[in-house]
Order: sequence, then structure tokens, then C-alpha cells
Amino acid sequence: MSAKMLSFVSVPQAQPPRREAGERRGDFDEIYEDFTPAQAGTQASRCSQCGVPFCSIHCPLGNNIPDWLMLTAEGRLEEAYAVSQATNTFPEICGRICPQDRLCEGNCVIEKGFESVTIGAVERYITDTAFEKGWVKPAMPVRELSSSVGIIGAGPAGLAAAERLRATGHQVHVYDRHDRVGGLLIYGIPGFKLEKDIVARREKLLQDQGVLFHLSQAIGSGEGEITLKQLRERHDAVLIATGVYKARETGGPGAGLSGIVRALDYLTVSNRRSLGDEVPAGELDAAGKDVVVIGGGDTAMDCVRTAIRQGARSVKCLYRRDRANMPGSVREVKNAEEEGVEFVWLAAPEAFLGDETVTGVRAQRMRLGLPDATGRQSIEPEPDGLFTIKADLVIKALGFDPEPLPELWQAADLEVSRWGTVKVDRERFETSIPGVFAAGDIVRGASLVVWAIRDGRDAAAQIDRWIGEQTAGEQVTGKQASAPVAAE
Amino acid sequence: MMDTISGFSPAAKRGKTSSTTNRGNASAPESGAAFVETWKRNAGALQQGLYRPEDEHDSCGVGLVAALDGKKRRDVVEAGIEALKAIWHRGAVDADGKTGDGAGIHVEIPQDFFADSIRATSEPLPAGTIIAIGQVFLPKTDLVAQERCRQIIETEILAFGYGIYGWRQVPIDTSCIGEKANATRPEIEQILIRNKGGRPEAEFERDLYVIRRRIEKAAIANQVDLYICSLSCRSVIYKGMFLAEHLTIFYPDLLDPRFVSRFAIYHQRYSTNTFPTWKLAQPFRRVAHNGEINTISGNINWMRSHETRLADPALDPFMSDIKPVVQVGGSDTATLDNVFELLTHAGRDAPAVKALMVPASVGAHSSMKAAHRDMFSYCNAVMEPWDGPAALCATDGRWVIAGLDRSGLRPLRYTRTSGGLLIVGSETGMVKVPEADILSRGRLGPGETIAVDLDEAKLYSNDALLDLLAGRQDFGRWVKKIQKIGSVVRNDVVEPVMYSSEELRRRQLSVGSTLEELEQILQPMVENAAEAIGSMGDDTPLAVLSERYRGLAHYFRQSFSQVTNPPIDSLRETRVMSLVTRLGNLGNILAQSEEQCDLLQLPSPVLTNGEFEALRNFCGVRGSTIDTTFRAADGEKGLRDAIARIRREAEERVREGCAHVFLTDENQSAERAAIPTILATAAVHTHLVRNSLRTFTSLNVRSADVLDVHAVAVTIGVGATTVNPYLAQESIADRLRRGLFGKISLRDAVERYRKAVDKGLLKIMSKMGISITASYRGGCNFEALGLSRALVEEFFPGMPSRISGIGLAGIARNVLSFHHEAWGTAAAVLPVGGLYKMRRSGEFHAFDGTLIHMLQTAVSSDSFTIYRRYADAVQRQKPVALRDLLDFRGGRTPISVEEVESITQLRKRLNAPAISLGALSPEAHETLSIAMNRIGAKSDSGEGGEDPERAKPRANGDNASSAIKQVASGRFGVTAQYLNDCREIEIKVAQGAKPGEGGQLPGFKVTELIAKLRHATPGVTLISPPPHHDIYSIEDLAQLIYDLKQINPEARVTVKLVARSGIGTIAAGVAKAKADAILISGHSGGTGASPQTSVKYAGLPWELGLAEAHQVLMLNRLRHRVTLRTDGGIKTGRDVVIAAMLGAEEFGIGTASLVAMGCIMVRQCHSNTCPVGVCSQDPAMRAKFEGTPEKVINLFSFIAEDVRNILASLGFRTLNEIIGRTDLLYQVSRGADYLDDLDLNPLLVQADPGPHARYCTLDGRNEVPDTLDAQMIADARPLFEHGEKMQLQYNVQNTMRAIGTRISSLIVRQFGMKTLAPGHLTVRLRGSAGQSLGAFAVQGLKLEVLGDANDYVGKGLSGATIVVRQPASSTLASNTNAIIGNTVLYGATAGTLYAAGLAGERFAVRNSGATAVVEGCGSNACEYMTGGTVVILGDSGDNFGAGFTGGMAFVYDADGSFEQKVNPDNVFWVRVTDEEWQQKLRSLVETHAAETHSGYAAMLLHKWNEVLPHFWQIVPKDYARIIGFSVPETMAVSA
Repeated sequence: MSAKMLSFVSVPQAQPPRREAGERRGDFDEIYEDFTPAQAGTQASRCSQCGVPFCSIHCPLGNNIPDWLMLTAEGRLEEAYAVSQATNTFPEICGRICPQDRLCEGNCVIEKGFESVTIGAVERYITDTAFEKGWVKPAMPVRELSSSVGIIGAGPAGLAAAERLRATGHQVHVYDRHDRVGGLLIYGIPGFKLEKDIVARREKLLQDQGVLFHLSQAIGSGEGEITLKQLRERHDAVLIATGVYKARETGGPGAGLSGIVRALDYLTVSNRRSLGDEVPAGELDAAGKDVVVIGGGDTAMDCVRTAIRQGARSVKCLYRRDRANMPGSVREVKNAEEEGVEFVWLAAPEAFLGDETVTGVRAQRMRLGLPDATGRQSIEPEPDGLFTIKADLVIKALGFDPEPLPELWQAADLEVSRWGTVKVDRERFETSIPGVFAAGDIVRGASLVVWAIRDGRDAAAQIDRWIGEQTAGEQVTGKQASAPVAAE
Repeated sequence: MMDTISGFSPAAKRGKTSSTTNRGNASAPESGAAFVETWKRNAGALQQGLYRPEDEHDSCGVGLVAALDGKKRRDVVEAGIEALKAIWHRGAVDADGKTGDGAGIHVEIPQDFFADSIRATSEPLPAGTIIAIGQVFLPKTDLVAQERCRQIIETEILAFGYGIYGWRQVPIDTSCIGEKANATRPEIEQILIRNKGGRPEAEFERDLYVIRRRIEKAAIANQVDLYICSLSCRSVIYKGMFLAEHLTIFYPDLLDPRFVSRFAIYHQRYSTNTFPTWKLAQPFRRVAHNGEINTISGNINWMRSHETRLADPALDPFMSDIKPVVQVGGSDTATLDNVFELLTHAGRDAPAVKALMVPASVGAHSSMKAAHRDMFSYCNAVMEPWDGPAALCATDGRWVIAGLDRSGLRPLRYTRTSGGLLIVGSETGMVKVPEADILSRGRLGPGETIAVDLDEAKLYSNDALLDLLAGRQDFGRWVKKIQKIGSVVRNDVVEPVMYSSEELRRRQLSVGSTLEELEQILQPMVENAAEAIGSMGDDTPLAVLSERYRGLAHYFRQSFSQVTNPPIDSLRETRVMSLVTRLGNLGNILAQSEEQCDLLQLPSPVLTNGEFEALRNFCGVRGSTIDTTFRAADGEKGLRDAIARIRREAEERVREGCAHVFLTDENQSAERAAIPTILATAAVHTHLVRNSLRTFTSLNVRSADVLDVHAVAVTIGVGATTVNPYLAQESIADRLRRGLFGKISLRDAVERYRKAVDKGLLKIMSKMGISITASYRGGCNFEALGLSRALVEEFFPGMPSRISGIGLAGIARNVLSFHHEAWGTAAAVLPVGGLYKMRRSGEFHAFDGTLIHMLQTAVSSDSFTIYRRYADAVQRQKPVALRDLLDFRGGRTPISVEEVESITQLRKRLNAPAISLGALSPEAHETLSIAMNRIGAKSDSGEGGEDPERAKPRANGDNASSAIKQVASGRFGVTAQYLNDCREIEIKVAQGAKPGEGGQLPGFKVTELIAKLRHATPGVTLISPPPHHDIYSIEDLAQLIYDLKQINPEARVTVKLVARSGIGTIAAGVAKAKADAILISGHSGGTGASPQTSVKYAGLPWELGLAEAHQVLMLNRLRHRVTLRTDGGIKTGRDVVIAAMLGAEEFGIGTASLVAMGCIMVRQCHSNTCPVGVCSQDPAMRAKFEGTPEKVINLFSFIAEDVRNILASLGFRTLNEIIGRTDLLYQVSRGADYLDDLDLNPLLVQADPGPHARYCTLDGRNEVPDTLDAQMIADARPLFEHGEKMQLQYNVQNTMRAIGTRISSLIVRQFGMKTLAPGHLTVRLRGSAGQSLGAFAVQGLKLEVLGDANDYVGKGLSGATIVVRQPASSTLASNTNAIIGNTVLYGATAGTLYAAGLAGERFAVRNSGATAVVEGCGSNACEYMTGGTVVILGDSGDNFGAGFTGGMAFVYDADGSFEQKVNPDNVFWVRVTDEEWQQKLRSLVETHAAETHSGYAAMLLHKWNEVLPHFWQIVPKDYARIIGFSVPETMAVSA
């Protein structure tokens, strides 16, 4: 190992510079600037090159972080990119939107006292540089196979699976009910976290690789829709990677008032606008409004920061627990606060005020109780803790549940859990319907993009194996099938 | 007050000892016959287990007496007998006090005596008749066999045309031997042979050799137990299993005044087992040997090859009788003797044979005369050296010689008397000679020999002898025939680049290469020209258990030395090491001709790609290339066929006259896969050996799958002459192109790589004590771990493989799967790896992130539930260790947990194993000690001293003193105080992560605190030598144990060993040396910094080592006298219980304790950046430490509770009940289905315990006999009662050892280390003091010896003054006579030594504070010294100051030879110009003169102004910088 590494004892942490909050508020561009090559190298050299790399252990993709950090520190970026992309289909995306403070960086062993290595920023730097230098090439198959796979959903899970399956030579068709590729990457996540041309760049690569997209194509039995049965006839295997889109609702008096909107609807409109689509303003625009966002997850963070950029008069975030117990990224909270968001911790909405349109939220002040069996602290209301917040736009960011696929698709034989997620064999990703696989949030429930990528890759390997088994059984009975290509 | 204690009897003392050792063992003693009976049965059973009789070792005391007037004399025999009585302490004695390990004497045949015995029955013999005597051991009880033996002997004698006078029953007195010895005693008879044809003596003698060989073969054919001690017309050997001093009681013949001789060679043996085997007693027919031949397996293999070509005009008619030369089942010495004997019968005399077999080193720096060097170069061209610690006494009938191995690792002292005797022995003073009769006293140095030509009555010094030998032939002309082709193949070589990057990657993939391997292993080799360093232990699965094939080399574990022979320091003792590689057609070793030099010679066996090509071109038609690839589509059969093919091709080519075979796998492709290099090499090598063709050719290998040092070593070890790691070079070229090595040429890059490999090879050889590649090659000095028995038998014969494993089928499968991945798919990037550091896609590691978290949560929250989850997770893991294939056998009724012994009881069995302060931060080190002391368990200080303040209780009652204090090879901080502040002393013989290697603490880690504890200077690098310089053999270990038991009269002594095959016999030897506990460390043990290949490839799992040690200790009835402890990756209660069932009663928990204190396995311990402050000395890091004693205690309590629960579930109340109960275990998995087999039954074999327990029943410790100190302490009561100043006087002999040590313990306990004034107690001794004079002696004590002293004077000296000088009656010139032995002042920390004479080898080795003046010394003086001042008033010996990093030395260099001898790596040397130093030097010489009355010193002082300019001041480079010693400009440049 190069003597360059382990410099955390002498070099302090430095994230890439962020644009000033005031400037950030004015546009939807990303807030982090790029590392200079020297900065990236220096920051990468802070890695301790651990024997047990906790960063990698806590990365859903098992990215070989110490290896590409070392290669970056040594200025061997092309190799760093090769190692990085070997385990991750979209490293530049993970580098931007992963909650690193909860995953790799949060588990960096030098974190205590030295602050973690800036893993995400380096990852992003490596891949951006790779794009710049033209090292990123579509993974073309070594040989074409006749088998074809249909993938439902052009989100991170579906795309990750598509890329792997295509690289092995399968014919890959991706169906999505939206008009653009990317799923939540394109419509869910605001541009200041993930600029949209990053996603477009990936779409282009997939197309170059030969993945065929069928956009604005919903699955179901309605008009213009394809049924699951038809898809199964068209393809040797089908992968369900729809994600979860059913917003969780909040009840209470006044919940039906206008001016109370769902986070995803809100974000989608904003993103469409950023993409140049003609979108009527209407109630989904926060400009000049007092905005209250309910929830403490990453979606809530996206909403508050979008509202700021839309020119809201005030933006408040209501969350039942405190800062330490919120599910969203601490870093995002910090960014939001800088940009002018006010967090109202330990507050749960009790009722929505107003006649037709919402005018305020009545909230209950909460306090933390004793930890429950899982170790998470319970919450209980403070006596006499009611208070009111003025609001003319309330955005509900309480999470997502699966849509009822068996009903929507009239596929009763598709088994789902009591939460509505699709049941699969944990190892093989196969659903109750033979040849139909599922991956991503629709299996796991709402989760991180990085998990979706992981699931998509793993599912692809299983689909490839399954198809291999089928063909071996049909065509070369009695002979040994050639070993399937192992996906990394 | 007694003036002398001549009544002091060793035997009486031993009687006392044997009764104390049996204390606490109430069982009825086992009768000798019963012992022998069960021993044989057990040995048979255990050979199904882990015991191999061929692992037995022995060592001893040896010597000879010769008549310098060439006349047969009675006093020669008497002196020999007397000497034997004075080396009893170098042997071992059974608990019965009578059964020894063997002793014997070799003398000339007293013709009168035997003539008289014939006359009694027949006609008087004509004058001048030569009677030959055969000293024969016959079967005792089987009378039919006995008669058959007599028939065989008589038949062969008569068949050769000689006559028989008859048989003589040798009178013996069995009352003096033990029951066990008697039970195995043979019938001892002599056959008296008539020289019927009146043939000349020489011819008669040679015929007797042939006759004996015929008899031996007939005995084997007839399956009778017949052994001939000697069959000679010149000499006879009396030997047996009695104590040395009982020789003449047992054999009263020897008391007969008619027994006269010109020489007597005597020997006292110390063996590692307790079974009395009569024929293993020495002397053998030619040789008596103290030491061990490390290269024995290579030597035997090559001897087998040499046999083909043996030719000698006189022996040719009998050659088929003589072969095989090496007889199976012999010890290393017996084998050496076999070859020695053959060579002496084939026209070489004993001095020439010694020079041939055990040559001195001709290292590049040695100051040897050119003629001598040529002679030895010739010897090296004829035969591979027999290398290893050796003090040899030998005779060929005319010559007697005494000589040492190249490293001088055994002592030989000699005395020449005015009465015409030469007395040589392992110690001085063995034969008492009045001082006035002594003409000279000397000692032999490395590789030296002295010899007496008895016929000419002439004594040859080493130099004279070499002149004689070198003058016999024109060796200078002969060796010019050796073509040194280094320059041919190296100069102007253009390094080719062979592959495109894609082809390179495919080839890399085909051998399983990874990014990690290239980055972590290959890169540093080129960058630093040295192997990569890593830290912590190996927690990956054994190769045979791994789900990933890692290459064949992973199944080979490197052999290493421990206890019975020392490893060598290949870095600092480079002068004895050599990689010189000879290629070509080796000739007849019996010949002496110029043609034997017709060879090619390379400086190293490692060739670059360009060099390999150049060599191939150079060899031209005499070379032949064989392709080692096979059609992948043919699968396993393809592999088998290819092996058969390359064997056939090699044989054909050699038969056609090819002298250089080249094997290569370059031809691999998408269609063709490569035979693993190791397999291909071994296949051809063994095939050629079996067909007696190996010596006709060199075997050169070009291979893709050899990259690291270990793989190169295995390839050479299985028979390759040269190795060309072409793919490694291609990888280097690729990296070079990418700019990863900066701006160097490819040639430079590969040169650096080769340098790294060369250094690594030397290290691997040296760790088992081998210095010469020629003797290492083909020796298969490995142990297979997980290779199938059939595979080993076919390709690696003789290599131990205990548990079987992968065979050809599995290898084919794995090779083809790599091949498919490499060539059958799109060439992707290389995998990242994960073997050294964990990666998700790579090799499995036992300690992963989740386990670490779980364990840390469990101990910080005091939650057994979470611990349970952790332990369950450990158990669910994939198998990593052998124990993971075992499970408990059910069948007993579980009992309630309450019935099982308490957690408090069980916790005491657990301890925190040795981790030094230096590796650990002070906080972590103290936390462990406090935790262990609180629960009554033990922590181990590790090597590196400990602050005496920690021995004082803290305000809160905590005791931070480690209960176990470690004594390691560096002896850092080992003072009398340190050794008294403990309950147990551990001698670390080896360390699991790097057995057989030393260590180095880089200067930047030597902080103020560490420097203080280690008696060093902050910032100065500290080096631990590979061996303990006072343990080169088992009797040396016994001596160290003796010394430690003297300095601390209560502490138990533990010996730490590392698991390897043969550890059982070593453990038995250690137990016989009176150790109280033996620690068997597994290969997975941790390290602060070690070469990566050492962490990965040396040592065995503790399961194997422990089981073997337990089995062999049981076999030898030693188990109940010694505690067995084990460590290495123990993580849970289950591990502890399995270890107990395999034989351990105490358990070390290392890595898990570190994890409990916060360690997260960053594996950067060597870089001082530990982010949790566990193993860093940097205050910023140490501040991060969050460990507490409570966390550690929780871990130990959880494990104890876990053990308790398991015991309850198995139905046992105490741990003792399950110790050694392997019947409670069974094998649950036989590993992967592609293995031939995986058989753990060898671990589970049990010996019948007889009347003894399976665990240690010793109460207290194994006591050692008293020495003079018992008397001194009694006489010094006024000192201890009233603090009075005293002077005592005694006569001493060499049997009184460690004088002054025990009394120092008393002084330090009563007065401390520094309160008494120097000389408060003066003890004057007359005679030859025994070993370890003044060991660990403290301030206040002054020892004055008038006479001389043996090895280890002032070992660990802690403040005392020692003066050794000639008695007034002596006429010797002090500066030319030896006065003290080897390894003086080893590890001394304070005090002074003045010796008026010459010291032996390694004077002041690892001195860190003592001041000493001597008048000359042997080689390697001041090695590893870190402090103190040494003045040498004469020859400083070769390799002076290797690893000398602190302190100061002065050498008087009268003949200007010093600069050739000094090792310049760490020091520079200047004239003494500085006023202050001049003063200091002069004052030291003045004190020396005053203390020793040395006339020589007085003379120097008298001419001081003439003398001073001849002094050198030797200053360590770093030290000079730190103390501000100004270096003269000119010197600074040259140094």
C-alpha cells in the first residue's frame, strides 16, 4: 500500500465546497461543487485501509470503498472507476443521494474524532471524471442470447437489473407508466440533489447497450395497458420493479381540505418543471405560501427544500420525534436549516384548520418515552401541548406503501404480504408465479435507492441463472449446461 | 564456614528432585516393564494419530580426549570417563533418577585385553595379531531371534573370509540403570573376529564396514532387532541408557587398566522422549554430534540421488552391499554418520569429510584465505552442506577431529595439557586439570575444526588443518571450471514484454490473481525491494476448508525451528547464508576430481524473464523445454495424462543426455490449462529421483502461478533448481507502464522484485535454520495441511500430511474453474481480493464487522444474551478452523448448571496472552492486566518489559502488574526485578504469526516510555533476534529454565511454542527440561507487524499442535507433570471446551480481548494510527481508547458461563473431567465433496493414560536441583539478617550452574535492584564455573572467578560485577586463551564484566546496559546491542556489530583486520579522538587491569600512546545522531 494512505491523523476532513445557502435557494442546481483532483486525492488518502472495512460492510452494495479510495489517492482514477463500477451500476448517483452518514461514512472507523472519509464525494468525483474522460462505456454483451426479459419499472431497481441482464446478452425490455426513464430518480428526487442530466446520461448508456424502453406503458387490464399475462408470453422472464407509490395518509379533522397535498405529487410537478415540461401552477406551487411539511424522512427533506426554492414565505417541518431520532439524513437537515427551513421537533399534527382550504395545522407537542423492545424510544403526548402553526400548503411526506398489484393487474396468483409487498424467495427473487421475479421497493417496502440497485443486480443474476436452467432443461437435456456467467 | 563443597553430588540432588516432582501425584507408580509395554502400545496407536517417531530430536554434551603423543594411554580413557561425569546436566533423567537418555564412549580396542580373553579359551595369539571387535545389541528375550542374529553375523563374517574367535558376553551391572532402561535393554555381546588372511589393517577395516552393511541388510530381511554399535579392528563403542556417570559401573570393562587408547570420544544424550532406546545412544561409528542437522530431509533426498553415481575403486565391488547408504529410521546424527562413514572408507580422511559435509561459510564478506575458500567452494560443488547446529567429534581411526557448523551454534572448548592431552568438550572444566599443567585453552569458532593426526602425533589448529586440506589439490584451478553464468544471463539482458493487457489479465485470472495481491504483495516487493508487512493474525479459513481455491501453495506450511535448533537471522548473519545455485550434471561424490566442478553457477535461483531466455540460449542443445499445459477439455484425465507425459519426457531427455530441463506453462490458452507449478515440479523431481536421474540435470521452472515469496520457496523446496515467475514479471511490466513505480527501468523493477524474493527465500530457509539453498532444495521442508495422503505420497514423499485433503481430482476441478473464468468469459476486471483484508466478494474472515459489533455491545452492556447471539453467530459461520468440523458427542444426561464448577473457577483457566507494550498502548496493556488480576486469571506482559511501578497496588486496590512476565529473544526489560514481579515466567520460543522469525520495533515507535522499559534510547530501532541466543538446543532450554527458576524461586515457567508437526516430541523435551506449562499457539496468532507470507503460511492450527502435544506427552508419561495451554482465535466457550477435549487445561483469549477493549481489526497496528487507541503509541490515538477492565471481565465471564453451560449440557461437573477426552468429539463434516478425504481422526486418537491423570496434577512447580547458591545463601545470613558486607569463597566445577542467581533473587526482594553498593557481597570462586555464571545477578553482588567460565556468563546481568581471571598459578597469556564461553551478557541491562582472556561467539549480544572488557572474542559480537559499553582488547571476530543500534564499543585492532570483519549496516567506526571518550576508554582498561591482574592489559596501558591509535570506536549510526556524537566528515561519507 502506498505510504500516502492513513493520512487522517494529519489531514482534516473537507467535503467539496457547497454553494452559499442564499445562492442555493434561487435554483434547483446541485449544491455541492466538484472536488478538484488534488482535493479528491488528499481526502481519499485519509482512509485507514481497515482489515475489516466497516464502510463496505454497511454499504448495501458492498462497494470496495477502501480499494477505490486508495486508487484515487494514488491518482489512478481509471482503475478506481473500474473497481467502483464493478459493484455499483450507478456510482455517481449513489455518490450524490446515498445517506452516507448512515451507511459508509457513518461507519467509518476514523469517524470518532477524526470525521469520516468523504466517501460519497469521492465516489461521485470518480464517476464524474470517468464520464468526462470517456471511460464509461455501455457494457456490451459478449454474445447475444435469444432469451428476453421484461422489466416493469424504469426506476433504480429495474434499470440496474436491465443493465446486468443486457450485459450477459439477454434481450431486455423495460416498461414504465411514466414518460421518462428513472422512476423516483427522475421525478422524485429534486435536482438540487441529483441533476436530471445525470439520469439522462445513464438512460443514454442503457439505450446504447441495447435496452429497449417502453415508456408511458402501464401494466394492467385497462385500455392501452398490457396485462401481466401478455408480458409473460412476450418474455422468458419478467421482473417486477415498480417501486411503491401509494402515499401514506394522515387522518384527523380537516384532512380532506384542499391545500393538503401528497409529497410525491408535489415533487413530481416541481421536477417536471425543472425538466422543462409545461405544468400548471395551481396548488402544487409553494411560491409565497406558508408551507408545513409533515414527516421526518428524506422525502420530507426534499419537499421542504423544494418549497424554499419555489419561494415559499415560510417552510416548517413537523416531526413527531427529535432530531436524533429522525429517519432522514442529518446532513440533509443541516442543508435545509441553512436554506431557511424551520424544524418543529416533537410535534405531531392533530388537526388541519380552515374551511375549504387549509389555513393552519394544530399540532400536539410530544415527548420521548422509554425505549421499546427494539430499542427505539416511544413517544407520548405532552399534557397541554397543543399549538397551532399557520399554513396554506401542507405537504404530507409520511412514507409510501405498495399499490395493490394483484388487483390492479388482475393477477390473483401473485402473492403479496400483508403489507402489500410482493413475496419472493429471498435467494432467488422469484415470486409465486414461475418466471416472474420482483425486486426493489415493491419487495422490500420503501427504502433507499442503493438497496434498489443492489436488489436489481442480485435479481438479474438470479434471472440469468433461471433462464440458464430453463434452456438447459429444454434444449440440451442430458448435457451439462455451460456455467452461467457470475455477476459480480 | 565451608571453604569448599566438594561433597556436592549431582546424583544426590537429583534424587531429591525426583521425589519433589512426584509430589501431588498420588497414583501408584508404573513399573518399568508396564511402562515399556504400554509405551509400545500407545506409540502404535498414536502413529495413527499425530505422533511420528521420525520427529524425535536429541541433543547433548559431547567431547573427546586425544593423546598428542600418539600413544595409547590409560589416562585418555580415564579423562573421557571423568568428562562424562561432568556433563550430566546436559542430559535428561527420568523420574526414576536412573534412566538416562543415553551415554557412551568410543575408544580404541585394547588388543591385549581381548587377546587375554581369547587366551583364556585357546592358544596364545601370535604377536601383532589384530582382533576386530563387534559390539552387538541382540534381542534380549526372544532367544530364537537372538540365535538368528548370531547366525547372520557369523555367516557374513565367514562368507567374507574372516574367522571368528568367539562371542564374549560383555559384563554389565544392571543395578545402576533404571527399570525402564532395563526393560528395553538388549543382550550386549561382543564378537571377536580373526583376521584370517592377515590382511592389512586398512583393508580389514573396510571389509568390516562391508560386512556390517551386509549384516544390517540381512537383519532387516530376517526382521530381527539387531544393532551393531561398532564393528571394527580399531575401535569399540560402549554405550547405553544409563546416566553418564554410571558408564563404568554398567560396563566394568572400562575400568580395566588394559583399556588404553589414543582417543576417547564421549557423548551424553538428551532426547525428546522418555522411551529408552538403546541404539540411539551415541557415539556412532564415526561421529558423536551435539546439535541437529536442519537440512536432513534435503540431504537424505539428495543422497538418494547421489547413490546412482557412487563409485570408488576399492568399494565398487561392494557398492550394492553398501547401498542404500542412508539407513531408514536413523536419527539425523545416525544419517550423518552413515554418510561420514562411507566417505571415510572411500579415500577421504575425517578432516576432509568434515570440510565436505559441514563446510565453513564462504560468504562474500568472510575474511577467509583464498586457498581455503577455493577448497570449500570445491566442497560445495560436490555436495550439499549438512547444515544446522553441530558440534562434531569424529574419527576415522587415524584422525580425530572436533568441529563446528558454519554458524558456530554449539560450544566446543578445548584444553591442551603439558601431559600431552587434548581435551575437547561442550564445556570447559569437564576434566579437572591442575592450572599449572594447562598449556592453552581455546574454543572453536564457526565452521572451525581442530584435528589430531594420531599416527603422526600432530595437532592441527583450524588454520593449519585448512592449509593441509587446501594444499592437497589445486583447488584454485579446479573451481575455475565452475562457470559463473550470473554475468552471462544477467548482463545486457533485455527484459521482454510478452502480453497485451487483455492477455495478461486472462493469465492473471487463470491463477486467481487479485487486485489485492498486486497492490498489497507485488507492489511493495518492487517499491521497497522487500516483502509486504501486515499485522494481526490470519482469520481466514484453512485452504482446505475455503470455498475458494487459492492456489496449491496455500496447502503448504513452512517448517520452522523451535527449541531443538535455532532459526538464523538471515538479515544480520548474512555471511553464513547463500542462495548460490548450481546447475548441471552432479558427479560422483566419492571422487576427488576437477570434473566435479564442471557446473554452471548462478547467484540466485530466481530468474527474470530475460535471464530465463538467456539461460535457455546458453544451454543450447544440452537444455530441453517441456510444456506443462494440458487440454482443458480433457478435465481431470487431461491433468493426469499431462503429469505422466512431462515425467516421461523429462526422463527421456535426461537419458538422452540433457543436462538442463526447462518446464514452462507459457503455452496456456483458451484451450490449454496449466498444471500447477508446484505439482509439475514435484512430479518431474520425484520421478527423476525415483529413477536415479535427478543429479544428471537441473530443473528450471517458468510459471504463471508463482508470485509471492512463499510460492517461490515451495517450488524450490519441492525440487526446482531455478524459478522464473514470468507472470509476476509481466504484471510488474504492466504496472511500470502505468507509472506505478516511478521512473525506473523494467530491469530495475524486476531486480527489486528479485531482491525481495531472495530476501524472503533466505528468511524462509533461515526460519528453520537452513542457510544454503542447495540443502533446502528438494527437502520438502513443509507440512501439508489439507493435501490428500495419496497426493503427498506420490509427489511430496516424506512431507507430513496429517488430515489428508485435496487430491488430483480436486486440483483439476479448481484449476479448470479458474481457467474457465479466465478464458471462457469476457475479461472483466480482476477481483478485488480479500485474503489479507476482508472484502465482501472475497475470502471469508472469522471476525467480521457484525461479530465485532455484537461482541462489543455484549461486553459494554454486560449482556450475556447478546454474547449468546454472538456465540451462535460464530458457530453458524462457515468452517474456518479444524474445530469447526467437530462437534460434541451426546449420550450423557445433562446436569443442572448449578452443579458445575463456578464461573470464578473456570475464569481462572482463561488468560490474556502475550501482547507487548509497544504493540499495545499503555492504556490497553494495563486494562488487560487489571482485568485479569481482578478475576484471578493471568495476563502476559509480552516482550518489552513493564514499569516496576505497576507492581505496586493502586489506590483503588487494582493491581496492574502482569502475572506472567515474558522472556523473549530480545530480552527487552528482562531484569531481576521484572522476573521477580510475577507468578509465572513465559519463555516465548516462537510466535504464531511468525514462528522462527525475529522482529523489529521501528525507531518512531520507541517512545520515552518504551525506551525506558526496554533499556534503550528513544528513537532507536530495536531488533528481536529470531532465536534466543541461549537456546540453540533442548539442553540449552533446560538451562534457561534452570536459570529462571533460580532468579525466581516461586514462579512457574512456561514455554510458548507454535503448533507444527513434531511439536509433540518438542513438548516432551520441554517437559523433561522441567517446564511447568507449555503453551501451544496456533498459526492464527496475532502480530504487531510481520511479513504477510509469514502470517499466512507458517505454523499450524492449534488443534493439531495441541492434540499432538497432548498425545506425545501422554505417551511419555509426562502429561501429568505439565500444564497445557493453548491460544489462537479462541472466541467462544465452545472453542474452549473443544480445546479442553483435545488436551488443554488453560486457554488464551487474545484477539477477542482486544475486540472487547475496542479493537475493530483495522489491521494497521504497524502504522501507529490505530483509530481506537488500542495499539498505538501516539497520544492523539491513545486518547481514543475506550476499553475498560469491566468490558474485558465481561468477556471472560461470558466465555466461562458459556463453558459452564456446555459442561452442564454434556453432563460434567468440572473442566478437568473432559481434558483429553477426544472420545467426546466427533467429526461432523468431511469438507467439500471434491476433496479426496478430510480426516480428523488423527486428532482424536488417545493414549492409555496408565496410572496417571490426563491433566497436570502438579502442585507447585517442577523443582530444579540446587546449585552453589544454596550454600551461599546459608553462608550469607549476616547479610540478609543484618545487612553486613561479606566475602565468601568456594571451589567450583562446571556442574555448578547459575551461580549468583538465586542469591540475587533474595537481594532484589529484600533490598531492591539498586540499594546495595557494588561489591557488598563478594564471592570468590576457584575452578571452572558452570553455565550462566551470574545470570540476572544484581547490584551489590560481585563474582570473582579464578579459572574460567562456560557459556552465558552474565546472562541478563542486572547490576552485578563479574570478574573472570587466571589464577595466580597460571602461566597462560591471557589474551590468547579462552576464558569465557559463548553468548556472554545476553540481554544484560546493567552491571560490569571484566574477563582476562577470550570470549566466545556473540559476546554482549543484546546488551542494553552492561559495561564489559575482554581481550578478544568470537564472531557476531555486540549483535543487536542497544546500550552499554564494550571494550575488546583484541580480535573482535567476524560480523561484528550486526544490528548494533545503541551503546558504544571499542576494539583494539592491532593487525588492522577490523574493517573486514565489521558489519557496516548499522554502525560507523572512527578512531578514538574525542577527549572524553579517550578518558573513558583508558579508565575502563585500567579498571580491567586492576580487577583481573591482566599482564596484557597492563602492557597496553604501559604503551598507551602507541596503542590508542589502533583502537576503533564503533558507534551505531542512529544512536550517534541521537546522542549528538559528531561524525568526522570523511567517515560520514564512507559509512
